[in-house]
Amino acid sequence: MKSLRRLFTRLFNTAARRAEEERLREEIAEHIALQTDENLRAGLSPIEARRQAMLKFGGVEAMKQDYRAERGVLLIENLLGDLRNAGRSISRMPGLATVIIVSLAIGIGVNTTIFSWIQMMLFEPMPAVSGAANFLMVEPQTETGGYPGASWQEYRDLRRQVPALRDIVASQMVPFNVGERGQTERTHGQLVSGNYFSALGLKPAMGRFFRPEEAERSGTEPVVVISYDYWQTRFRGAPEAVGKKLRVNDRELMVIGVAPKDFQGTMVPLKFELWAPATMAPALLGGTRDLEDRSIRAFSLIGMLKAGATSEEAQAEFSRAMGQMARDYPDASAGIGGEILAFWKAPRGPQRMLISGLAVLQGVMLLLLLAVCGNTANLMLARGSVRQREMAVRVALGAGRWRIASLVLSENMLLALLGTGLGAVIAVWGTTALRVAPMIGAFPILFPTKVDVFTLAFAMLLGAACGFIFSAAPAVHLARLDPQEGLRSNSNTPPRSRASKVLMGVEVGLAMVVLIAAALFLESFRSARQADPRFRAEGVLLAAYDLSGRNPTDASEREFAARLLERLRSLPDVEAAAIATNVPVDLHGIPARSFTVQGHVRTEAGQDRAISNTVTPGYFQVMGIPLVEGNDFAEMRDKAAPAQAIVNEEFVRRYLNGAEAIGRSLQTRGGSFSIIGVARNSVYDAFGEPAQPAVYLSYRDLPAIQGEIHLRTRSSNETALTFEARAVLRELDPMLPLYDARTFSQHIERNLYLRRIPARMFAVLGPLLLGLAAIGIYAVVSYAVARRTREIGVRLAFGATSGRVVGQIIRENLGVIAWGAAIGWVLALAISVRVIAKGGLNVSVFLVVPAILLGVATLACWIPARRASRIDPIAALRHE
Amino acid sequence: MKQKTDVLQGTLALMVLKTLDVLGPQHGYGIARRIEQISGDLLAVNQGTLYPVLLKLEQEGAIASEWGASENNRRARFYRLTREGRKQLQAETKDWEQTAAIIARFFEAKAEDLP
Repeated sequence: MKSLRRLFTRLFNTAARRAEEERLREEIAEHIALQTDENLRAGLSPIEARRQAMLKFGGVEAMKQDYRAERGVLLIENLLGDLRNAGRSISRMPGLATVIIVSLAIGIGVNTTIFSWIQMMLFEPMPAVSGAANFLMVEPQTETGGYPGASWQEYRDLRRQVPALRDIVASQMVPFNVGERGQTERTHGQLVSGNYFSALGLKPAMGRFFRPEEAERSGTEPVVVISYDYWQTRFRGAPEAVGKKLRVNDRELMVIGVAPKDFQGTMVPLKFELWAPATMAPALLGGTRDLEDRSIRAFSLIGMLKAGATSEEAQAEFSRAMGQMARDYPDASAGIGGEILAFWKAPRGPQRMLISGLAVLQGVMLLLLLAVCGNTANLMLARGSVRQREMAVRVALGAGRWRIASLVLSENMLLALLGTGLGAVIAVWGTTALRVAPMIGAFPILFPTKVDVFTLAFAMLLGAACGFIFSAAPAVHLARLDPQEGLRSNSNTPPRSRASKVLMGVEVGLAMVVLIAAALFLESFRSARQADPRFRAEGVLLAAYDLSGRNPTDASEREFAARLLERLRSLPDVEAAAIATNVPVDLHGIPARSFTVQGHVRTEAGQDRAISNTVTPGYFQVMGIPLVEGNDFAEMRDKAAPAQAIVNEEFVRRYLNGAEAIGRSLQTRGGSFSIIGVARNSVYDAFGEPAQPAVYLSYRDLPAIQGEIHLRTRSSNETALTFEARAVLRELDPMLPLYDARTFSQHIERNLYLRRIPARMFAVLGPLLLGLAAIGIYAVVSYAVARRTREIGVRLAFGATSGRVVGQIIRENLGVIAWGAAIGWVLALAISVRVIAKGGLNVSVFLVVPAILLGVATLACWIPARRASRIDPIAALRHE
Repeated sequence: MKQKTDVLQGTLALMVLKTLDVLGPQHGYGIARRIEQISGDLLAVNQGTLYPVLLKLEQEGAIASEWGASENNRRARFYRLTREGRKQLQAETKDWEQTAAIIARFFEAKAEDLP
């Protein structure tokens, strides 16, 4: 307590410094006056009396020093002084300081942004749910390692049979068509177990959550909980929303509550708007047997460990329960075990894939930050050698080693602090940019990343670490300075720094890899813009429908598609119409499936694969892909024709050696198809891809629950068709919404957008690294040159030309640089061969990038070398 | 010289507290005089050392100070003992007596006294 009180008083005193000084001065004066009076009374002469009084008092200045030390916190006073000093010396080198601060800020900002992402996925995977990271995935697992999901009956058994887990929660993602007949809108929601909200520990923002009876009995209580956003946008946040009826998949549901703000469901980053009890599955999904049939594994389960239980116990209980089920229900559960997984390892959703990518990215970015630190250290060393004289004077005047070190440290810390501040701003901007990333594809996605205390603490930590890292070398160097040496000459030659040269090489290598990657991405992006897709994208409208809520059969799906096409084709503006399961150049890609074809022996154990798309007749007409041989598929209602397939030219070339394809039989997807035509090659996954073999199957033979409508318009305005297509669908089924309507050009743009993100990132990162590498080289070389002023002076005095001197300096440093560049080049080559094998090697990139990099490196060497060679030899030697 | 100040630093605070306890409120010079009178030459050289000690005690809350008029009617800073200071003095007096007693016994003890 006492020491705390002293600390506060001291801190206060530090602030109230002047008043204190005045008080002490007055007290001393009074003391001496009283003593003088005393001495006068003792009979001394006035002058002698005062002298004796002063002597008796002792050294005033030394006492004042003690007094001050006692009064304030010396450390803080020194620190403030250092900071003032640091501010002054930074403002004397604005250019250098800006470079350091900005490069630090970028490094810290990017790292913090990535960290906030990783942090979100590892520690706060579900916004609004506290302790969400403690949830475990309870996943049935097939023998081959797949995760098929759990059936409802399984879930009910597991709730009892895995006591180590408190409250297992089941949820299933479902598309909902919300709204009155004819005006439906597609939304995504979850069918959930009754304990969903209570187990997640959520409190409703409005209304209430499910009552046990609403969630237990099958299909009785039509209730729904809506998301906060949905409440705000559809009901304008009105309290009356609770109790309102909402028509979902043609069923009236009563809104009973609003989920808390930011809650977006249990499959982040997917964002759900509605939650209905799982027991309503039959009512909402057209009489599905989800609730009874153990082979329909539609649910995803999560649970939290009971206090004191371990995940090993849970795993053991889970495995035992699954084993028992495999014996009891061999039809549905044979061969299915189970695995307890950490939440972030969720097999569904993108977390698992993202997190490894992010970890790599974070690693690379930390490396980048390290490069920045190395640069800064080198720059500071170079500057430090200029400041030796200043430091020597300080040491000579009595500054301790620690004072010198702390002086350097505070200067660098101030730089680091400024960099961190700017970095935090960049991080805030970066995470916000991530949040508003556009909704991509048919699913609503929201990354709930944010900058919070943890993230800021991370940024601070990075900043402080950087400060220390790049302070260490100059601080140690300057603190060891012998004042006599430092004052006498400028030639104090510290040992040659191998580390800084190695660092320079590493930096160049890193820059090389990233620059080549950037160039390759930009190149592929540019060629994508110009490449011929070999189909006609202009004038085509795309839109999707989904029969999920209607529990269709193969026959009804086929009939629905046939009727839809008839109606669409009867529209005056429609030139041609078709339905397909997949659209080329899609983000998710088109599946490639294995097959066997008559007349082709599989070459190796690996199965042959070809792109597989299921299309209706008329598809090739809509897409503008000519059939080079044979005919289009048989009509949808044609029951006589055998199952048909159309292959592309590449398929014929690769698997049939160009022989006649028509008439051969092809086995794929569990059926046998007769090849009736050959279509021209076109682009399937990405622009500029090499030709891929493809198999088209007929919608007639393999109807699907979802379909992408393709419409070719007669007029130039394909967007106008959206309304007509919507009306047609409404006529056929008033509850079905038409969703994801876009022109083919928009579809392509949207997918290019995602390719643009890495392209952009590399486009920014590449020049940044090039700049950093250049700064690094500059720093190392100018430091080396500053140390060797005398040597250079001697050389010049003995008649070396400045050209020779420059040449020698550049040669010495370029050696290391060339090594780094070569290693980076080989690395980039290896990566590109492995990753981008498809596109063939882009030779020009691999030649131009090294040329640019080496050019910049040479320039960065040349500037300080040139400066050194300009020294007047006489001045250089005299200076020594 | 160094040893002398070390002793001073340790004991000066206690002397100041005792002085204020006996004489009541005093200014710096008064305290210095009193200590000088009692301790002989100990403080003769550096009266100034008193002031950092006074400040430390004030910061600890053992003494408080305010401006007042000195004997010859000039402004002087008067120090007085606070309640906390009195408690501290009692505690330290006891400590000091104990320490002194122990040291005294050590000096008196001779080899043959030991068993």
